[in-house]
Amino acid sequence: MRHFKFSCLLGATMAALVFGSAAAAEERHQHAMSERPVRVELGSTPAFGPDGALYVASKRGEHVVVERSSDLAQTWDAPRVVNADPEAISADGENRPKIAFARDGSLLVSWTKPLSKPYAGEIRFARADDGKNFSAPITVHQDRREITHRFESMAVGQEGQILIAWVDKRDLEASGGKKDAYRGAAIYAATSLDGGRSFQTEHKVADHSCECCRIAIAHDRDGALLLLWRHVFAPNERDHAMARLNPDGTPASVQRATFDHWKIDACPHHGPSLVVDENGVRHAVWFNMTEGKAPVHYGRLIDRGNALVVEGQISVGGPRAAHADIASAAGRLGIVWKEFDGERTNLFAMLSVDGGKSFRTLPLAATAGSSDQPRIILRQATLFAFWRTENEGFRVIELP
Amino acid sequence: MSKGCFALLACLLALPLQATEFAPLDRNAARQLLDPANHRQPTVVTLWSADCSYCKKNLQLLSSLRKNNKQLKVISIAAEAAGTAQEQAIDRYALPEPHYAYGADNPEAIAYAIDPDWAGELPRTFLFDGHGHLEKVSGVISVGRIEKATGLRFQ
Repeated sequence: MRHFKFSCLLGATMAALVFGSAAAAEERHQHAMSERPVRVELGSTPAFGPDGALYVASKRGEHVVVERSSDLAQTWDAPRVVNADPEAISADGENRPKIAFARDGSLLVSWTKPLSKPYAGEIRFARADDGKNFSAPITVHQDRREITHRFESMAVGQEGQILIAWVDKRDLEASGGKKDAYRGAAIYAATSLDGGRSFQTEHKVADHSCECCRIAIAHDRDGALLLLWRHVFAPNERDHAMARLNPDGTPASVQRATFDHWKIDACPHHGPSLVVDENGVRHAVWFNMTEGKAPVHYGRLIDRGNALVVEGQISVGGPRAAHADIASAAGRLGIVWKEFDGERTNLFAMLSVDGGKSFRTLPLAATAGSSDQPRIILRQATLFAFWRTENEGFRVIELP
Repeated sequence: MSKGCFALLACLLALPLQATEFAPLDRNAARQLLDPANHRQPTVVTLWSADCSYCKKNLQLLSSLRKNNKQLKVISIAAEAAGTAQEQAIDRYALPEPHYAYGADNPEAIAYAIDPDWAGELPRTFLFDGHGHLEKVSGVISVGRIEKATGLRFQ
């Protein structure tokens, strides 16, 4: 914004010269300055730790910080700095620092570090054995070219391995930049077998993902990790694909998961969410524009052997519903999302006690200012909505 | 008015037209900018972001069409706060008209004021014919579509 500031100052100075009114110039200057955007990047990830406390990873300046609350966001311990040395951090929209806990209770944090070239980034990771003092960050992937490695997601797998998956453009780059030589980007993943002290060489999960939507991770019934992401099916259908991963992170299967046939050459900036319930049923929420329907969808992804089919697809919320998240606990399925009504952004939940066949909807909160995407998290058998808003900060709402 | 004063005033009026300068957009300005009654000449309002490669295709096309036919007015809106990445990106297209970026207002309120039917997908393009008609397009646009909606020819 330096050009804006400079020309405002210049403009104000010249207005004073032309109109002979320093007061008018000052007023213009003040007005212009007050309009300069001061935007806090709100992208945050919450999780309950093994100690039952709530942990939140977010960005503060050029640091990822982790905050801890033992009383459901009423009071917070002093924030812990993850990266001691400052660096650029993505924490807006689909990109935000992630948090998870290893089997030994270590606190794991990942984030995307944007680089100076357009679209370029690195996936970064740090761990804290004691939940407080973090190791020096490492870059997760071996490929260090200044290209896209962004929009990471992280989970701890069935054997205690740490999996990080991200959107990667090395295959697009390898196509030589020829027009339409490669659809979209790719999903890559890397696994750590030593609690995050190092990562195995990354490998490709699938070609042709969408370029800038978050990736959902869930545990399948047997503990295997599932990835769900927005995919670009030929020629330009931006539906979703799901991969079931082997313990080493390689894909056991990659299947089309949604069938809305949204044909568009555009960036939806709108990734899905996935959960597997106690009965092994996979429930997903996703965003797709389909004629005559509200854009956020819920459905169950049923495995028919060689293909997935969507069962019970319904709309979530109204025409401006956005950024839904889904979780399951003790026979209950919960979805949270936000929706702008022309004046305020509202947070809603949909709850089901019959495996997603029927839902009841309840309003949870509202804000007049900016807000992050909402999350749904669980502590043992209780579901909570988590929402960071610019005006109100971190909010945690227990779902009935 | 003296010649010097006139030159100064002309310079002052010209300032908002400099490239690499983003005017901050709030919901009221957005509503004005997208009101067909405020466009008396064929105009394209193009929404883009630094992360959106398809947006660059549209900006490139609009830049070349603008060079081809000066009757076309192009107004760009970065659907995010302005920074170095946005400045570097928009500079490449040498579009003369004012460039906007999201200001301090709630981004969802700005988006709603731009278009209540828009769900955030980019690029999003608004084509005004200058006589009160507006057409909205998501995704990569074609010359034919722009010609049809604006009534201009670019051959």
